[in-house]
Amino acid sequence: MKKSAFLLFASLVLISCVSGEPKPLQLNSDACDYCKMTIANGQFGAELITQKGRYYKFDDVACMIHFAKSNTVVPYKAFFVCDYLMGNTFVPVEKCYFLKGGTINSPMNGNAIAFASKKEAVRYQPKFNAVILSWKELYSSY
Amino acid sequence: MKKLSYISYLFFTFQVLIANTIHVGKQYPVKSIHQAIVQSKDGDTIIVHQGLYREGNIVINKKIVFIGRDFPVLDAQKHGEVLSVKADSVVVKGFKIINSGFAALDDPCGIKVYNRTFVRIYNNRLDNNFFGIYLQNCNNCIVKGNTIVSHGTQEQLIGNGIHCWKSDNLQIIANTVSGHRDGIYFEFVTNSVIWRNISTKNIRYGLHFMFSNDDSYITNVFKNNGAGVAVMFSKSVKMINNTFEENWGDSAYGLLLKEISDGYIFNNKFIKNTSAIYMEGTSRIKIEKNNFISNGWGMKVQASCMDNEVVSNNFLKNTFDISTNGSLVLNTFNSNYWDKYEGYDLDKNGVGDVPYHPLSLFAVLTEKNATTMLLYRSFMITLLDKSEKVLPSITPDNFIDKTPLMKSLPL
Repeated sequence: MKKSAFLLFASLVLISCVSGEPKPLQLNSDACDYCKMTIANGQFGAELITQKGRYYKFDDVACMIHFAKSNTVVPYKAFFVCDYLMGNTFVPVEKCYFLKGGTINSPMNGNAIAFASKKEAVRYQPKFNAVILSWKELYSSY
Repeated sequence: MKKLSYISYLFFTFQVLIANTIHVGKQYPVKSIHQAIVQSKDGDTIIVHQGLYREGNIVINKKIVFIGRDFPVLDAQKHGEVLSVKADSVVVKGFKIINSGFAALDDPCGIKVYNRTFVRIYNNRLDNNFFGIYLQNCNNCIVKGNTIVSHGTQEQLIGNGIHCWKSDNLQIIANTVSGHRDGIYFEFVTNSVIWRNISTKNIRYGLHFMFSNDDSYITNVFKNNGAGVAVMFSKSVKMINNTFEENWGDSAYGLLLKEISDGYIFNNKFIKNTSAIYMEGTSRIKIEKNNFISNGWGMKVQASCMDNEVVSNNFLKNTFDISTNGSLVLNTFNSNYWDKYEGYDLDKNGVGDVPYHPLSLFAVLTEKNATTMLLYRSFMITLLDKSEKVLPSITPDNFIDKTPLMKSLPL
C-alpha cells in the first residue's frame, strides 16, 4: 500500500515535470505576461512554452506575438491558442485557422480568433466579416 | 399686446410637443409593454406600473420616455437581451431589470444602447445580467444612479457592469456596481466623466480604461476588486479624489498604469493594496497630494517610466514605499512625507535637511528575486538596509527626495 502510494506520488511529480502540454488558464487570476492585464476571457487566450519549459500566458494572440517578437534570446518550443468556440482549451497554432479583423473585438485589440476546425472558421467568417489567415500569416501581420 | 403675441408665438411653436401618456399595468387597458411601444409615437411617455413583465426582449425604437413606477420587474428569463434602446433621446427610469441570457458569443445585456445620442438611463436596478448597461457607439448619454449587481465567480465568464465602447461625451454618475467582470469599462471612449460611483467586489477591475483619451474619474470608491483599477493605453486621464482600497493579490494593484501619458493623479487615497500604484511605460504623469496608507508597495515604478512627478504625497505605514527594476532615474520625487524618514530639521523650516532615499535595498532585492522576501525583517537585512542608506551601492544614489517633509500633509 505504502509502496503504491509512493509510486503514485513519484509519478505525479514526474508528470508535472515533463509536459510540453499547455496548462489551462486560471481565469480572472492569471495576468497576461505581455500587457499585465488579468485574463478574463478564455476565448481569446494564448500560451507559449520555451525550450526550457517555462510557460507564458496571454489574454490575446496579439500579446503573444508581440511578446515573441520582442524577445530574440530565449528559444520557443510551442505556441498554443484557445479555440474560440470551446473557450480555454488550447490547440497548437499550426493546427488552427484564424479569423482577423471585421467586427471581432478582443481584449487587447489584436482582434483575432482561432478555430481548430476549418469548417467552423469558414462558417464564422461572414458573420464577423473577417479574413481567414494561417498562423504564419497572422504572425507576420502584427 | 407685445406680450400676448410672444405668448401665442410660444404656444404655436411648442404645440407640436404635446404628447400622450400611456399607462401599462394590470388595472389599465394596456397590459403589455410591447403593445404600449407599438401604440406610442415619438415624444410619448410610457408609465409602467408595478408587476412582473416577462416579455422577452423589449426594443425601444421610438423617442419615448419610459418610466417605471415602484420598480416594475422586466425579466428576460435567461434568454437574450432584456432592454434594447434603438432610438435617440430615450429616457429609461425606475425599472428592475433581471435575468438576461448568459452567452459568450453575443454578449446579452440588461440594457443596451445601439449607436444613439442623448439617451438617459436613470435609477434602475439591474440584477443577474451578463452585461449590465452597454453603450455601443453612443454620444452625449447619461447613466446615473443605477444599482448593478451580478453574481460572477472566479472561473466563470461574465460581462462588465457598465460597458462603454467607441463613445464620446458620456456621464457615468453615482452608480453602484458589483459582481461583474469589470465594474466600469471604457474602450475608445473620449471626453467623458465618471463621477461618484462605487465599484466593489468585481472579479477583475473596478474600473478599466483601454484606448480612451481625455476622460476624468472623480470621487469614486474602488474596493475589494480582483485586481483594482487599470488605466491602459490612454492619454490625458485625470484621476481625482478616488479611494482605492483592499485590492489584494499577486497580480492585483490599487491602480495599474500601463502605456499612458499626460495624466494627473490628485488627492486619491490608496489604502491596503498589494501595490498601490504600478507604473509601466508611463510618462508625464503628475502624482500630487495622494495618501498611500498600509500598502505592500506604495509605488512600483518600472524602468520604462519617465518624466513623472511625484510631489507632496503622504507615504504612511507601507512595507515598501517605492520599488523599481531599473537603475536609471528619470522621474522626480519632491516634497513628500515619508514616515520612514529619519533625518533632522535644524533650521525648523519643516523640510528635512538631508535627502531621503525612498528606495530601500530590500525593495531592489525582492524586485530581482521575489523569494528573498523570506528574509524580510531579519537582522542581516536590517543591517544592510541601514548601511545602504548611508552609502548607496546597489540602489541608485540619485533616487532621492531632496526636500522630504517633516510632518505629514493634512490630506
